[in-house]
Amino acid sequence: MKVINLDETREKLSNKVLNNIKASHDLGLLRCVQCGMCTSVCPGAKHSNYNPRYMVEKVLENDEKIIENKDIWNCFYCYTCHSVCAVGNSPCEVNQILRQIAIDNGKEDEKLKYFASYGETFLDIGIGGMPKSFFMTLHEDIEGWLDFKAELEEIRKELSLGPIQMPQESIEEVRKLLNKMNFDKRVKRLKKEEKE
Amino acid sequence: MINKKTSNKDDSKLKIGVFICRCGGNISDTVDIEKVKSNIDAEVVEEFENLCSINGKKNIRDNILNNKLDRVVIASCSPISHEKIFQDYVKPLNPYLMDMANLREQCSWVHDKDKSTAKAITLINASIEKVKKSHPVNPIVCQIPESVAIIGGGISGISAALSIAKTDVKTYIIEEKATIGGNMVKIGKVFSPVKIAEECSLCLLNPLINETVWEDNIEILTKTKVISGSRKSGTFSLLLEKSPRYIDDALCIACGKCNEVCPVKVLDDFNENMSYRKAIYKPFSQSYPDAYTIDMENCKKCGNCVKICKMNAINLEEEKELIPLNVGSVILATGHKLFNPKARPEYGYERYDEVITQNELARIMGVNGPTKGELKIPGSKKAPKRIVMVQCVGSRDEKPNAHKYCSKVCCMVALKNANIIKHKYPDTDVIICYTDMRTTGMYEKYYKHCQDNGIRLIRGRPGEIIKNQEDNLVVKVEDTLTREFVEIETDMVVLSLAIESSDGTREIAKQLDIGLTEDFFVKEAHPKIKPVATDVKGAFVCGTAQGPKDITESIMQANASAAKVFELIHKGIEIEPFIAEIDYELCNNCKECISRCKHKSIYIEDKEIFIDPMSCSGCGECLSVCKQSAITIQGNINEKIYATIKGMLKNKQKGEKKIIVFLDQIGYTAADNIGINRLQYPESIHIIKVHSVNRVTPDHIIYALKNGAEGVFIGEYPGDLMYDKVEKKINKLKKYAEKQGINPDRIQFSKVYIPYFTGLAQKFKIFDEKINSISN
Repeated sequence: MKVINLDETREKLSNKVLNNIKASHDLGLLRCVQCGMCTSVCPGAKHSNYNPRYMVEKVLENDEKIIENKDIWNCFYCYTCHSVCAVGNSPCEVNQILRQIAIDNGKEDEKLKYFASYGETFLDIGIGGMPKSFFMTLHEDIEGWLDFKAELEEIRKELSLGPIQMPQESIEEVRKLLNKMNFDKRVKRLKKEEKE
Repeated sequence: MINKKTSNKDDSKLKIGVFICRCGGNISDTVDIEKVKSNIDAEVVEEFENLCSINGKKNIRDNILNNKLDRVVIASCSPISHEKIFQDYVKPLNPYLMDMANLREQCSWVHDKDKSTAKAITLINASIEKVKKSHPVNPIVCQIPESVAIIGGGISGISAALSIAKTDVKTYIIEEKATIGGNMVKIGKVFSPVKIAEECSLCLLNPLINETVWEDNIEILTKTKVISGSRKSGTFSLLLEKSPRYIDDALCIACGKCNEVCPVKVLDDFNENMSYRKAIYKPFSQSYPDAYTIDMENCKKCGNCVKICKMNAINLEEEKELIPLNVGSVILATGHKLFNPKARPEYGYERYDEVITQNELARIMGVNGPTKGELKIPGSKKAPKRIVMVQCVGSRDEKPNAHKYCSKVCCMVALKNANIIKHKYPDTDVIICYTDMRTTGMYEKYYKHCQDNGIRLIRGRPGEIIKNQEDNLVVKVEDTLTREFVEIETDMVVLSLAIESSDGTREIAKQLDIGLTEDFFVKEAHPKIKPVATDVKGAFVCGTAQGPKDITESIMQANASAAKVFELIHKGIEIEPFIAEIDYELCNNCKECISRCKHKSIYIEDKEIFIDPMSCSGCGECLSVCKQSAITIQGNINEKIYATIKGMLKNKQKGEKKIIVFLDQIGYTAADNIGINRLQYPESIHIIKVHSVNRVTPDHIIYALKNGAEGVFIGEYPGDLMYDKVEKKINKLKKYAEKQGINPDRIQFSKVYIPYFTGLAQKFKIFDEKINSISN
């Protein structure tokens, strides 16, 4: 049986999530009525044991074990839960914050290593993007993807959008900053772990 | 006669009688009455044990007549409790020539013995000075026309009309559609919370429609809209536009021959566009007027109907008609509409024929519906094996195109329709996917009854409805009670759509300048204690125009709004006379006052400006913008405030401190509560009750501060329409005071609430201490 003690305060996991820098200022976490709409549209929930409603429930119950729950790593940030939520909550955002807490606790390199290639793109092009190593697989799955990629700058010009590529000097600057933070070393280490 | 004579007298020659009440010791145990009497300068100064008794009445009256008194001061309890009584006791004197000095709630109950006698003398002096400036005025009686316009002829409008018409009041029902009856005619069956059974809704409604038709005092105007309207001293002037019916309903015998020969087929909106009707049609068999009408948008003017009509009732060239209508009250019964299911593309409405709404299901299940009551999957001839109902579509949803509120009736609607299906087709599986079941009160019994009948309930809100490879619908939902991700295969889905405000509600609110809520429903004057009243006097609301509700609640509101209409009609309304008046010789029609009036009381008629006495609060805001000084408020209020301040500051002793406090009705009641609860505040506090805090001008405040008051405290209830204005005004005044060499900290503006009397006593104490610390 769970006991809710009289002197238990609201200084809880939910507050930690709400006060996290990643949380939107009007995140409806506390307004959640557990309707399960998020889970009903979640591709992660369809193919794995991940359940965004359950994850939010655990956050609201102040159950810190959810941070170490391996299932939360099955969300792939499609934001469908975010767009359907009727109370302005975003399970996806909550998920990202929980993962960050897990990473900060230093326990999740095992899960993090699969993201190493994404990390590399920050060093390569100055922003997050699709890792080069995925290009061929994507081209196999999506017909004409490489051609689209090659002509992207042209298409953007036609739509009077600016270039997607950052100026070289800005990329240099970002790289310099990241190197100062030892970001490059961390990515390299994770990359190595991934290969092993 | 007495009034005229006295009002012309010089102030100093007025004969004033002061009557002091001992209040059975409540006052006399603390206040030294003998000392008070010897310090008051008046024609008559008398004391009584209980002034409010019948003996007191006789004494006051005898004194007024024998001593030919011009003015009376009653020094007793609070005017909040006994003002009406003493206004009656001073007859034959005009009631407004009497003032009450509050020696109980604001003197003997809040101060110690040594302080209260001096305070009592001051309060009586203030009242004496005030009555010297009082003018005899009479309450204004407004008579309003004994007629009512009800906008909307659904169950709410019909119920209100019947209730009003039965008291011999002329009632007009203005209905936009070709028939009265509203949404209730379409829903097929209804159930009441105490009955575990469904009943035919038309069988309940039809007798009411018939009664409405036969009631002499009710005039039904169908195909009619209000196109403009305004309200002037209790009269609404409406301009109606009656669209042509093209068929004279007095001649038409509804034989239906025209319908047979009409070649045009169009979708029938009575059946939610699931069947066809002709261009010449009757909405449904029991519709009123019992006559056909032509849908001119689709009519080809072939003339077949004209030729066949033996009654010569058809005129294809009929034109629209404008009808002016003056009534005393208006009831908005403009109903609701439903959330647009296309705004939720993930539920596949329109993409899949098998996804329908509860209203469409009701038509399908209706014996007068497109399938004559047979349940079939739309687009096929088969009965469904399973129906999944999705709750809260557009309700309880914070997304921008939806509604945050609960639509209140959908849980019951879904259960009802599910139960009807289960009853007729026991083999059809019915599943309701819900967020929360909200079946309050007796409805819970019906909910349990439905569960007993085998209706399945899944607690989860579906996120998507798709079709699988077998071409079956799949409802994706999490069963949140079992933590299972479920894909329900089904051959039919029913969406429970949110109730939202109708276009008619928004239009009429705009025309009559009636306030709406953030959800565009008609806003009540106070959602808690003034239901069915709107922010425009004489305009009321009932039914779903005010918000989501069921039929029973709609009828209750309709009856309540009818009762409110009787209140207005019966003997008219008596209004306190302290309201704004226009001097037409001075008014130059600049119209500045119109937009400044927060009470929507000023309007233009025939190029002249009028003030509606029914809604004017006497706040005086219009006075301050009138460059011509053409607006006055009866009762000499401005002078009375100066005189009261003067009286309060009279005979100020050396070292004595006086703070003048201005409070409106709410603040004054809060101050009385301090006394009733026997709390204390400093004796420097001297409270002046004003009709509206807005009537206290910067000049009054500066006058008080320059003539001996150490501080001025203004308290106002934040719910007052003028609150923001007054707050701004005081802030401006502080700057002005500083220029005049007055420390602005001597002026304080504060919120007051009736239950917050402890806080008010505390504020008085803090302000008194603050004044002590100011050395100017």
